[in-house]
Amino acid sequence: MNEYIGIAVSVGMAGAITAIMVWLGSSLGKKNPTAVKLAPFECGQDPISLPMGRLAIKFYLTAILFILFDVELVFLYPWAVVYRTLGVLGLVEMLVFLGILMAGFVYAWDNGALDWK
Amino acid sequence: MSDLALMAPELILIGMALALILVARRIRTAPVAAIGTVSAALAAALASGWLLSRGTDTGFGGMIILDGYSQFFKILIAGSLALVTLLSVRTIAVEQLPRAEYHALLLLASTGMMLSVSATDLLTLYLGVELMTLCSYILVGVTVQNPRSNEAAIKYFLIASFASALLLYGISLTYGATGSTTFVAIASALAERGLANSPLLVVAVSLLVAGLAFKIAAVPFHSWAPDAYQGAISPVAAFLAAGSKAAGLAVLGRVTVVAFGSEAEVMSLLFAGLAAFSIVVGSILALAQTDMKRLLAYSSIAHVGYALLGLMAGTPEGVSTTMVYAFFYVFMTLGAFGIVIGLGERGESLEGYRGLATQRPVTALLMLLFLLSLTGIPPTAGFVAKFGVILSALRAGHPELAVLAMVFSVVSAFVYMRVAVLMFMEEPQEEVTVDLPVAVSAALAVAALVTLIGGIFPGSLVRWAVSP
Repeated sequence: MNEYIGIAVSVGMAGAITAIMVWLGSSLGKKNPTAVKLAPFECGQDPISLPMGRLAIKFYLTAILFILFDVELVFLYPWAVVYRTLGVLGLVEMLVFLGILMAGFVYAWDNGALDWK
Repeated sequence: MSDLALMAPELILIGMALALILVARRIRTAPVAAIGTVSAALAAALASGWLLSRGTDTGFGGMIILDGYSQFFKILIAGSLALVTLLSVRTIAVEQLPRAEYHALLLLASTGMMLSVSATDLLTLYLGVELMTLCSYILVGVTVQNPRSNEAAIKYFLIASFASALLLYGISLTYGATGSTTFVAIASALAERGLANSPLLVVAVSLLVAGLAFKIAAVPFHSWAPDAYQGAISPVAAFLAAGSKAAGLAVLGRVTVVAFGSEAEVMSLLFAGLAAFSIVVGSILALAQTDMKRLLAYSSIAHVGYALLGLMAGTPEGVSTTMVYAFFYVFMTLGAFGIVIGLGERGESLEGYRGLATQRPVTALLMLLFLLSLTGIPPTAGFVAKFGVILSALRAGHPELAVLAMVFSVVSAFVYMRVAVLMFMEEPQEEVTVDLPVAVSAALAVAALVTLIGGIFPGSLVRWAVSP
């Protein structure tokens, strides 16, 4: 059981720090509540609405770009764990993989996916 | 040989696709994308042939293979990519499509096809087939302003993703029964454990075949094809009818012979059913069409039926006849689509062909050549192809299917000759259209050459059509 104590401590500390920050923010900060400020929010969308109607395409583009980096991380983590055993070839292969992913990102950037118009 | 070298043709196509994507915004109007795609396709074909000349090999721990079978189809796929690129030139200009993206998608779809024909593992196979279909969805809906094209893309997407699910389910059941996804390991597990014809495996094989039958649009899994072909721009319809069908047939052939040799009875029964239904339904429904692309769609469904007659035998000779069929079918169907594309708006409806012979004799003669070949009349390649598969069905002990195939060849002759009659025996009603673009003429010349040479020297291709 001993090896789990460290995890328990870090979970406890993370929870405590978050709680303290929220508490400080809500007790020390100024409050000017308006109807808009008090409304629940979710990425620019009304969180409670019928799932119809239009959605700005820029949210979709951002989500797609997020997936690009998400996939990158999914492969980078296991690669980093076995980095030493893979050696130089592993490094080159990962660079090629990143290059291909970045080609997609450069295409999106070049064609204005990052312009928030 | 190193693993990566085995994939040289795929790497060439991927490299060109990435290069096009990177400079996409800077080549909006230049023809450089088309030139790059055609040269990448030729380089990939040369690389495929060169690799074959150095012997056969397997790579990536038995996931892919280099053999006569895979290289035969890779060269065919590269050829169809080059021809489709040439056929697209004017359509892209008229529809103002994004050039780099369009060509990159064609390249990546062809990469998927090449990967799937060299796959010796169900997962590599799935990866290749999915890469091909994912790119095809976008290509079908590439004219985003056209509601019909969007509808076609959505229909295609929904039905084909359902098919992918069936394919995956078949793969997982096969893995459950045999403990492997590699073809060779599946075959040896089946032999060792005496699993042949066990109910679980019959279900697995049926799901695999059904999933792949969707991709080649064999009846009863054909419903998406006519709508997708009609909604897509003509070059994309040609690409779907040619390359993706050849790749699908290649995959079915390898799975049948290498992995599920012990399931020959079930496979044969499935293929016989698919072939018979495809030939009958495809030929009869083609009779009712007045839209040229729908007509060619139903014709392609019937042709897949004929090609499946070769796989039905389950023998290396049978698979070899299917290879010949796929090869010639790709060129004759690309030729027929090429005429449709070359005539522009006029070529899309059957009425547009009225009196074409007096206005454009050469175009009409070329169309006649492709129609004769699609019907299967000597001395065209279509006859050689059809003769091979019907003979194979006879040898496999299915005289009834051979008779059915011949009877429905006559029915399909009526479909194709209707166009020929309109062209040669009726008075023109429409104005003369613009000349064929140079690129389209070049593609038509290649297609016509292959169709003629294949018909005059029937043995020329048989040497290369070696089953896995």
